[in-house]
Amino acid sequence: MRGSLVLSNLLLAADSPLGHVINGESVWSTISWVGEIGDVASLHEVMLVIGGVVLVLGLFFAASRIRTGSESQGNERYVTRGRLAQLVEVMVVYLRDEMIQPILGEKQTRRWLPFLFSIFFFILVLNLMGMLPLQDLHHFFGLHHFLLGGTATANINVTATLALFAFVAIQFHSFRELGIIGWLDHLTCGLLKGPKGLLLVVPIVFAVEFAGVFIKPVALAIRLFANMLGGHILLATIIMLPSMAQLGLEPGSGAWFGVSIATGAFAVALTVLELFVAFLQAFVFMFLTAVFISLMSHEEHEHEDHAVDEVVAEVAAVH
Amino acid sequence: MSFAFLLAAADGAAPDPMKLNLWVAGTALLVFGIAFAILYVKVWPVITKGLDDRNDKILGEIKAAEDARARASEALAEYEQSLAKAREQAQQTIAEAKAEAQRLGDEMKASNERELAERMARAKADIESARRAAVADIHANASELAAAVASRILKREINSADQADLVRDALGELDGAGV
Repeated sequence: MRGSLVLSNLLLAADSPLGHVINGESVWSTISWVGEIGDVASLHEVMLVIGGVVLVLGLFFAASRIRTGSESQGNERYVTRGRLAQLVEVMVVYLRDEMIQPILGEKQTRRWLPFLFSIFFFILVLNLMGMLPLQDLHHFFGLHHFLLGGTATANINVTATLALFAFVAIQFHSFRELGIIGWLDHLTCGLLKGPKGLLLVVPIVFAVEFAGVFIKPVALAIRLFANMLGGHILLATIIMLPSMAQLGLEPGSGAWFGVSIATGAFAVALTVLELFVAFLQAFVFMFLTAVFISLMSHEEHEHEDHAVDEVVAEVAAVH
Repeated sequence: MSFAFLLAAADGAAPDPMKLNLWVAGTALLVFGIAFAILYVKVWPVITKGLDDRNDKILGEIKAAEDARARASEALAEYEQSLAKAREQAQQTIAEAKAEAQRLGDEMKASNERELAERMARAKADIESARRAAVADIHANASELAAAVASRILKREINSADQADLVRDALGELDGAGV
């Protein structure tokens, strides 16, 4: 109870839930030569760099444990060693075999797997790092300039950049697979080859489809940003309730205890939900990118478009 | 600090979460770009190769097991075929042995019967010749005995014509008696 009040008061010290979630200055930006460079070394930038390092080192470690061993190990050389590597392997195998391969097919999966999994694990690492109460620990130890902390994926600039990567990947794939003519044909839904009466709607269809080319990655960016930001704001707001209640209720009274206990329980539940959301949003970003790539493939895949649309609709519904 | 004051302060200082920051975007671009390049070259090929190797190993083991099972089935079929053939050969051998035994038995039986018949015929012939010899002896002895007896009774010499008549009569009696 006392702990939750301390945490609650720490959060309240940030003036608003937003102050705890959005980007802020780090202690690194106060270094003179860093400040001369520009508006760099904000908390989200620090978390991005740390996240990138953690991602690369973590996956290097996992890869070394998944790698096929020497022949002297016998059949043991095929066994993945260590929990982290096994966790990575389970996710990779499941996502590859059950999610991506049914959409992209074996050949395209092999081609796009590095990009899709890189973006998935990058987002996942940033999401999970954002759940660590690093800024609260700073407050706890009386530090008011943060070394690190925050959720980088709750920053629209970060998610927009990742969406830019997805956009480039989708368009690269579509031009490579379809060519310029095929790309234009795709954007007109094949109406140029259809009945002449439908040519009138070609400009409208083209405008809508062309807008869709940009709307899809924008939707990816906003979905990830909004989910991470919204979840953390909600969590921060809930945790602030006991301190707010302290302002109106007498500390130690039954009502104050009731508010605190209910808040604590709700915060724990929300944290578990946020943990799930951290995985879900990483998956959704990666999965929808794979779907958008598959939609820009050759015509032989177009009969699968309805099935893909249904899957997209299901994912959107879950999300 | 009152609650209302706190909220008012929060409202006034509310940061904009949609604020564009090219430094952050650039950092994200750089960090993800570098991370992706490293992972693309150094990590994902190792992981996918490890998974593929294991997959190939499992598929290879399954295929080897299937091949071994097929070979075992083939060997079993061959064994059963050989067994059936051996049984058939054994049955044939037994039948041949039975037939041979039967033939040998029949031959031995026939040989024995033939030998027995020969022996019986020989025995009968021996008996007959012995009987004839005995009868001849009896005839000879009987005629001599009868002549001696008759001489004693008649107190006279019996000539050879008389003796022949007596023998003939005696033999006729003997024949009538079935000797």
